[in-house]
Amino acid sequence: MSGEEEENAAELKIGDEFLKAKCLMNCEVSLILEHKYEQLQQMSEDPMNQMSQVFEKSLQYVKRFSRYKNPDSVRQVREILSRYQLAEFELCVLGNLCPETVEEAIAMVPSIKNRGRALDDDAIEKMLNDLSLVKKFE
Amino acid sequence: MFLQSQLSWNVIIPPESLDSNGLALQKAIIIRLMDDFAAKKATKDLGYFLAVTTLDKIGEGKIRERTGDVLFPVEFSCITFKIFKGEVLEGVVHKILKHGVFLRCGPMDKIYLSHQKMPDYRYVPGENPIFISETSKIEKDVTVRFMVIGEQYVEAEADFRAVVGLNGDFLGPV
Repeated sequence: MSGEEEENAAELKIGDEFLKAKCLMNCEVSLILEHKYEQLQQMSEDPMNQMSQVFEKSLQYVKRFSRYKNPDSVRQVREILSRYQLAEFELCVLGNLCPETVEEAIAMVPSIKNRGRALDDDAIEKMLNDLSLVKKFE
Repeated sequence: MFLQSQLSWNVIIPPESLDSNGLALQKAIIIRLMDDFAAKKATKDLGYFLAVTTLDKIGEGKIRERTGDVLFPVEFSCITFKIFKGEVLEGVVHKILKHGVFLRCGPMDKIYLSHQKMPDYRYVPGENPIFISETSKIEKDVTVRFMVIGEQYVEAEADFRAVVGLNGDFLGPV
C-alpha cells in the first residue's frame, strides 16, 4: 500500500496513475479475452499451453461475472454510464455490480455522492433504469 | 479492477532470430514480448498481467556487445488487474475453514474473509462446512460480494493476497 496518503477506493483515493488509467468492466474484459483466446487457438494446436494461469483464471472469472454478453449491450452500458461524469473507476464498479436501487449504488460507490457533483438521487435512479433496460432487451 | 495500461519494455532477440524479412522479425518480437509478458505474472505496482492487446511501437534495435543479441524498445497496450483497498468486488468461495473462507476473484485466489469480518455468520462444521447467518449461507462455489480491507504483494511468488470483509450494506452472498 502506498505510504503518503491512505488508499481508499471507496473515496476514490487511488494512485494518480490508476485514477487516470482506463478501467475495464468485466463484460469488456470478457470480450477481449475471448477474442484473444480464439486467436491463440488459430495460431497453435494447444492453446491452453500458450495461456498463462493469470489469463486462464481471469477468463473464467469474467465469463461468470459479465452482466452483459453481447457486444452491443456492452457498448451501450459504457455509453449510458459515460453520461454521468463518473470517474473511470466508478463507472466500472457500477457496470460490474449492477446495483438495483439508489441506496445500493451509493453503498457500492460511496464517492459518487461526495465529489461535489450534481449527481442527485433522481439522476442515479435514471441511470440504473437505463442500465436495466439494456439488460432486459439483450 | 481490470485496467488498460500502456507499457514500454525492452525485448531481446537472439541473433539467430534476426531476419532480413521485416515481417518475420516483427513476428519474432511479438512472440518474445508475449512470452515475457506471460512469464512476468505480476508486479507490485501494476498488479497482474493478463494479455497484450496491441503492439503500438517498435523502436530502433540496439546491438548488445558480446552476445550479439539485439534489444528492441517496444510500446504496447495490455490488460492488467489490481485490487484496491475500499473496492467492492464479487468473488467465488473455493475453500471453507473454521476461521474463515478463501475466495477467488479475477486472477487472485488468496482472498481471505475472516469470520471476524462477517459477524452475523457462524461456522457449521461437517463434511462440507459452511457459514450461515439468519438469512443466508456461504458455501463452496457461492458468489460473495465483499469489500477489500487490505492487500499485500508477495514478491517471491509474484502474487497478491487480500483480506476482505462483509461489514457494510449490500455485502454478502449474492
